[in-house]
Amino acid sequence: MSEVAAKDNSVRKYDPEFTKRVYQMENGKWVKMCMQCGICPTTCALKEKMDLSPRRIIQLIRAGAKDEVLKANTMWLCTSCYTCACRCPRGVPMMDVMHDLRHLAVENGIKHNSQAMAEVYAKDVFKRGRIWEGGLTLNYGLKIGLGNFVKMALDMQDVGKGMMLHRRLPLLPPKGVKNPGKLREVLNRAAEIAKEGGH
Amino acid sequence: MKITLYPGCASEGTAISYTQSALEVAKKLGLEVKEIEDWNCCGSTVTSSVIGQFAADVLAARNLALAEKMGEQDVVATCSSCYAVLGNVNKKFADDKFKANANDALSKDNLSYSGKLKVRMLLDVMYSDVGLETIKSKVVKPLTGLKVAGYVGCQTVRALREFDNCENPTFLDGIISALGAEPVQFSHKLKCCTGAMALSSPEITISTVYPIIKSAHEAGADVIVTPCPLCQMNLDAYQVKVNKNFNTQYKMPVLFFTQLMALAYGLDRKAAGLDYCIVSPNEALKNWM
Repeated sequence: MSEVAAKDNSVRKYDPEFTKRVYQMENGKWVKMCMQCGICPTTCALKEKMDLSPRRIIQLIRAGAKDEVLKANTMWLCTSCYTCACRCPRGVPMMDVMHDLRHLAVENGIKHNSQAMAEVYAKDVFKRGRIWEGGLTLNYGLKIGLGNFVKMALDMQDVGKGMMLHRRLPLLPPKGVKNPGKLREVLNRAAEIAKEGGH
Repeated sequence: MKITLYPGCASEGTAISYTQSALEVAKKLGLEVKEIEDWNCCGSTVTSSVIGQFAADVLAARNLALAEKMGEQDVVATCSSCYAVLGNVNKKFADDKFKANANDALSKDNLSYSGKLKVRMLLDVMYSDVGLETIKSKVVKPLTGLKVAGYVGCQTVRALREFDNCENPTFLDGIISALGAEPVQFSHKLKCCTGAMALSSPEITISTVYPIIKSAHEAGADVIVTPCPLCQMNLDAYQVKVNKNFNTQYKMPVLFFTQLMALAYGLDRKAAGLDYCIVSPNEALKNWM
């Protein structure tokens, strides 16, 4: 082991409460199923761009290495392509574990563009029951801040132009569900049940 | 055959050409299609990270509860992501505790779901239920000489693994052949296009989409067809970025497989939704338009 790694290890904080918290999440039970075979990183679509491989993330959750896990970009780069789930000998739905970890990262004040996108998306679902693809881009832009949005808009203007010219981005929201209030009641009740551990 | 259609949000926007062409093709094939009344967004794979897995599951399950009211026929999704989400939730209803809790939440909207329906993907219904012989029998303009890269993408065959082979899928190529076209083999047939990441990390999407288009091009494809709205959008709309970033000149049209069917069935340009294609398909498909 190199000196640097040894030094890192000496300051690493282990938090067993973190491990328990992950286990309690809806997909937490799967973390226990992993046998560390390493199939998931070899199949992962974006492994090269990840700070920690999906296998390593599982290992570190079990070790209680809270900071390392929650600060990694790994869960944000999971595209839910299901390749790892398809090949995992234990049938672990790794993408679902990654979604739980995103939720947990946000709970701990860690932000990422992917989560900003997910939040804009979920807000639309709460508001209307269906998403408005045209409005998603705009609301996402507002969420990441005007400066970032202008930069993105300039950089991606040729993509946006293609979409607009071919009438692929509806300018007005399509109709939503008849009673979005009822849908919100359903979702709030579901959140309550999950909180009580009834998932 | 009767089916209950779950159109999904993309059917009204980015993938409008998919639903339109699918409905036209369904008419030709004698499929009786009814849309789920008052359906809501399936939540895709992104919502659970915001509202939690269980609430996201219940969100998707509301559609199944509504579908059950319409009869016992299969619920068919056009979008791969909707299929993945609805199908996975449907499986969870086999667990009594999950079912009781989900129905507890759904009761707030006077709904409940038994878990008895089947969730299917349109590609599977076309291949397994309609069948290649019937698909072939309706062809009036065989696509002879057209080389097609059937881009299956990731979730279609992998999310539920209930149809086709998740490592070596053949259903899409079978349909391409039945239409008289030639399916080409290319290395990136099953690679992920990065889906919804296109907006939050566009640079990753561009670098991921590039080898997909490249491999289809090198295999001699005239067009790419896909069964997934996000795959279609990323390959089609981001091609301009791929060309800029990698100094290439690809002009590879990207269509939904139902658009290709519509074309072979002699439906007009409008019914096939060809004007929604960002990379023009006019040159590649001129013999059949």
